[in-house]
Amino acid sequence: MSFVDILINTFSAFNLNYTLMLLLAVIIPGLIIFLLMTVNAIVAVYMERKISAFMQDRLGPMEVGLFGFKGGKKFWGGIGQTIADAIKLLSKEDIIPKDADKFMMILAPFIIFIASFITFVGVPLSENFLISNFNVGVLYILAMGSVGVIGIILAGWASNNKWSLYGAMRAASQIISYEIPIGLTLLLPVIVSGGLDVHTIVNWQLENRWLIIHSPFTFIAFFIFFVSGIAETNRVPFDIPESESELVAGWMTEYSGFRWSLFFLSEYTNMLIISLVASFVFLGGWGSPLTLIDVIPNEYMYLDGPIWGFFWLLAKAIALIFVMMWFRWTFPRLRVDQLMYLCWKVFIPFSIANMLFVGIWEVLF
Amino acid sequence: MRDYFNNIYVGLRSFWKGLSLTFNHMKNKEDLVATLQYPNEKWPIPERNIGYDMSEYNVVRSRLHVDMDDCIGCLQCERACPVDCIKIDTIKPSKDSDIDCGITSHGTQKKLVVPRFTIDMTECMYCNLCVYPCPEECIYMVGGPNENKHEMDYEFSQYTRDGLIFEFATATDDEIISAGGEDYLKQRDSKKSNLKDGEELKGKEFVPEIIEKAKKTTSSASAKAAELTHKSFSDLDDKKQRGLAKKTFLLLKKKGNSDAEILEAIESELKGKDLFSDQAKELLVSLSGGGAQSSSNSTSMPELTHKSFSDLDDKKQRGLAKKTFLLLKKKGNSDTEILKAIEAELKEKDLFNDQVKELLVSLSGDSNNTRKEEENISDSAELFDMKKLNDIDDKVARGLSKKIYIKAKKDDKTSEEILVDIESSLKASDKLSGNVLDIINNIRESL
Repeated sequence: MSFVDILINTFSAFNLNYTLMLLLAVIIPGLIIFLLMTVNAIVAVYMERKISAFMQDRLGPMEVGLFGFKGGKKFWGGIGQTIADAIKLLSKEDIIPKDADKFMMILAPFIIFIASFITFVGVPLSENFLISNFNVGVLYILAMGSVGVIGIILAGWASNNKWSLYGAMRAASQIISYEIPIGLTLLLPVIVSGGLDVHTIVNWQLENRWLIIHSPFTFIAFFIFFVSGIAETNRVPFDIPESESELVAGWMTEYSGFRWSLFFLSEYTNMLIISLVASFVFLGGWGSPLTLIDVIPNEYMYLDGPIWGFFWLLAKAIALIFVMMWFRWTFPRLRVDQLMYLCWKVFIPFSIANMLFVGIWEVLF
Repeated sequence: MRDYFNNIYVGLRSFWKGLSLTFNHMKNKEDLVATLQYPNEKWPIPERNIGYDMSEYNVVRSRLHVDMDDCIGCLQCERACPVDCIKIDTIKPSKDSDIDCGITSHGTQKKLVVPRFTIDMTECMYCNLCVYPCPEECIYMVGGPNENKHEMDYEFSQYTRDGLIFEFATATDDEIISAGGEDYLKQRDSKKSNLKDGEELKGKEFVPEIIEKAKKTTSSASAKAAELTHKSFSDLDDKKQRGLAKKTFLLLKKKGNSDAEILEAIESELKGKDLFSDQAKELLVSLSGGGAQSSSNSTSMPELTHKSFSDLDDKKQRGLAKKTFLLLKKKGNSDTEILKAIEAELKEKDLFNDQVKELLVSLSGDSNNTRKEEENISDSAELFDMKKLNDIDDKVARGLSKKIYIKAKKDDKTSEEILVDIESSLKASDKLSGNVLDIINNIRESL
């Protein structure tokens, strides 16, 4: 069952016009995804600013309140800061350089935004809250996740700025490189559970055990996947495409206002997507972590339901987002050659070895 | 191969080390966060040991402070300030008012009300020179040896630049009024409103409407008068008339006479040369159209204050009038009521004479009856215009003759009598020149 299926079933009961029904079945999930992306960006930015501040012995935003509530407590001030920032961003001037390729420059942010938008279609939020259920779900996510690189190259090229172009080239090489370890590590759950479908993978984990503790090889695979995922989202320590000290802002240099906010939105959405995928592929999806411990008797295990599933999956994703931020404010940026070394000489050999050993493990046990 | 795995091992170890470091910082944020939320929290002033006792040496140049209870308004600090950052206004209460300014902590009786005592700390250069002349020791730098008087203020930061102009005066508006400072208050308020208007205009582009408005308010009379040039007389047909008028105009204009004076001089000049025609009269009337208006405006009475009675010669009369005036003014009576009351008071005390009557009539210029009477008198007497005496070249002679004229007018004398008076008194003081005689004869002829 997926969200679109539920919608169509409900509308069929009302005998709606077929085209209208189709339109609604597209628009409503679209709006939900967009809302999710926006809320995620607003919350995550506040979270990031606070976490970075605490890690650097600062306080972060403390002044802007929300509906009169200014935080008050020492470590919870500035709740309205990101909302104010978002309003500021949307009211900024939209600048397009004179020598830029206007059409492509306008097109690029939408391609990047749409890439992360349509990736979300295949990502589950709970057992039934999955926008559309593909029987090749993992493959779809993998495929759509790499669409964004077209937008990045477009943005860098159309800006007609050397920093932008450098950033775009670096981003393209980085994303294409890290697609490989991601693809190879995502194959492990497929090998173990025997299906590309989201439900197949998660249900296998719920019946047996979480993939991260299934075998030492899947344990390593989880870390390879997660770190490669960070590289895919161009975050520190893999932020050489937009390295501030070298390239101003990389391929985003010439963008401002709403178009820049689209980049921003898709970056944080990509974070959420990577975290959600990592949690449903390796961390047991919508299953409660309490099942890991066999202390509580089964009749008290009411923490597994549709709403609890949503809660657990999101909690795991947020924990992983926190880890991403933790990485960001801990490690310095990698050099280009170090980045390539890590991908081609460490992650890819390990992933290939992992695949081999997981196959043997599955045959043996 | 060994290096390769060693590399990975070292990488993972440093990876973990770094993560645990940042996580510990986040976990222990309550102890480690160093941020001070400045306007709400402030560092305490550190204890210092710099080799001497702070209370003994006045080396602390922090912020000027004034204890207004001790200030007698002697302006010594204002004079001492090299950069003029201290501004003090004082009002001396009139003797009748029962206002008590208080006694300073040194036991001095204060005699002045201080409605304004501002120190502009943006201008202050902390030279401390204002502190020494103060006889009451009420102005000082805070902190240091004056710590017991006022605590140290080392950062008097403000949100606007105006905030650095510190106002110390404590006199309320009521106190200022009771000390006889209504004019002061008015001045102050008008200054404030002017500033406000200026702020509202700030940043606006050149708006013709504002200029037009301003022109309208400066009375149409001046606008007309401003047009008076030597070309105004070009309409005259007679060549001689035209030449004479223009000549006179240019001559007097150079001397800086007013338009009305110039026109009159031209008139008399033309009359003197027997060139005064109907056309010239019409032109002069049309040109002086604005002048007449403005003169009628200027007859509106100046405001009635206790100084209006200073012209009275008799000391007793003057005192009584002023006293009555102040008493009734405080009660809020109108001007005409006050004048009537003064008249009654003077009559009661048998001090009412002609001079008082004259003064009171002139002061109550608003009442229509008295004005009509005045007009009737002047009509019947047909006194010549005093402005004709302006043509007298000698300054002393002019002033003397004008004085006589005014005095004579008060005494209801005729024009002939006035002229005779002027002649005789000028003769007595040896100022009777040909010029004056000509003018007097001119006036006589015109009568």
